[in-house]
Amino acid sequence: MTNSIVIEGLSRYYNGFLALDNLSLEVKKNEDVALLGPNGAGKTTTLKILCGLIRPSSGTAYINGINVVEEREQAVSKIGAIVETPEFYPFLTPEETLSYLGGLRGMRAPGLKRRIKEVLRVVKLDEWSETKIGKFSRGMKQRLAVAQALLHDPPILILDEPTLGLDPRGMAEIRDLLKAVRKEKTVFFASHLLTEVVQVCDKVALIDRGRLLVYDRIAHLERKYRTLERAYLKITEGAI
Amino acid sequence: MRESEKLKVVTKYELLKQLRRKRLYLVLALAIAVELLVLVLLPALGQSYPNDVMEMAVLLSIGPSFAVIGAIFFAGDAIAGEFEGKTGYTLFPNPVRRTTIVVGKYLACILAMGLILFITYACVSVSLLAIYHQIPLEVAESLALCLLLASSVLGITFFFSSISKGVMGATVMTLIIFFVVSGVLESVLMLAGQPRWFLLSYAGNVVTTVYGGYGAFPGGAGHIPTAALELPEIGTSIWVMVAYLVVFFSLSIWITKRREMI
Repeated sequence: MTNSIVIEGLSRYYNGFLALDNLSLEVKKNEDVALLGPNGAGKTTTLKILCGLIRPSSGTAYINGINVVEEREQAVSKIGAIVETPEFYPFLTPEETLSYLGGLRGMRAPGLKRRIKEVLRVVKLDEWSETKIGKFSRGMKQRLAVAQALLHDPPILILDEPTLGLDPRGMAEIRDLLKAVRKEKTVFFASHLLTEVVQVCDKVALIDRGRLLVYDRIAHLERKYRTLERAYLKITEGAI
Repeated sequence: MRESEKLKVVTKYELLKQLRRKRLYLVLALAIAVELLVLVLLPALGQSYPNDVMEMAVLLSIGPSFAVIGAIFFAGDAIAGEFEGKTGYTLFPNPVRRTTIVVGKYLACILAMGLILFITYACVSVSLLAIYHQIPLEVAESLALCLLLASSVLGITFFFSSISKGVMGATVMTLIIFFVVSGVLESVLMLAGQPRWFLLSYAGNVVTTVYGGYGAFPGGAGHIPTAALELPEIGTSIWVMVAYLVVFFSLSIWITKRREMI
């Protein structure tokens, strides 16, 4: 089976601080993997490298077999991503923003317009499609971030805390959405919400201080430690 | 999808962003206000308009030159804003080269700047036509040189935007380099009797000296008779402005391609 994501010996220093330490990981096609770890474990750094936003100090990563470091544009064309807390241009509307991003991804009218309406309906922003984003709340921007990640129907979703800033209803809606798309997409996402992880993912990769501690099926970890939370607490014992 | 098509997409939406911003209209309003001030203030102070249409053209061209400076304010955030405002987290993970993004942003700024310059020069032309019943050909020449000066200033602004952490830093650095550093150097070199042709602020004087024996520049005191002073040569000044544009804009692309979204 083809691997959607391959991480090979990734290391990354920030001014002498080692954020990622020889991390290696493989995510198979249509697998749904959560990247877990304490604050500063290296989760966002890993996702940023996969999205071509930063370069590794050593090692490399592949998206659908394409080297992210050497062929960034081709590699990121296969992903839909949310990294950190994304912001949008306040002078544009959701419709214009998605037209802009869709255009960069090679989508054209009328298919693009149809798809924009579809994703805005999915994230429940259809009534706000022509309102300037400058007026949006944090949660509404997060919904738009999900919409842009799904816009081009990518085979791989790379998401950094996708429900961050959402109210409980919004969190449940996005979670349901991820549960629906997981059948046909590879989902690789970082989260601190273990209940969310259990519902959306099959496997977890637990990292701390940039090192991979465990990469296993949730069901297996739950058998061994009773719950994912106990597994997390036990494995990361001693972390800040 | 070809990169040229992506460039069109970037330029289209970056221009839309510029057109939606209040600061563009503020710069345009200020530039027109400066022109109106010249037209109103002279009669109000009991002075008649100059006899020479060229002299009046110089006075009125302060407006468009002023607009060039305004360009710094809406180009300062072109690159730095993507990092500071975190919009880069949405824009950069797309299959588009950073070079295409920077060039698209630059073209959008030039188009927005061009719009302001065309409107302000149209005001200059209408005023000259109403007062002197003629529009000298030099007005078109001045417009072309002003567009080139704007392109160079934008190139420098893009460079500082690519190296600055924040938008304010990029804007302030460009203003300091263009007005303070370049202005001081120009004065010192003039006093020392040394050549100044390589300074952008000096080369930019051609926007008004193209009208003849008068020079006016927004950074200076306005209308200065320059018959006794050395005037910049148009040919040399064009090359100087092109050189600043090429060097600083190329540097901004090179730096942006290497800059990380940390």
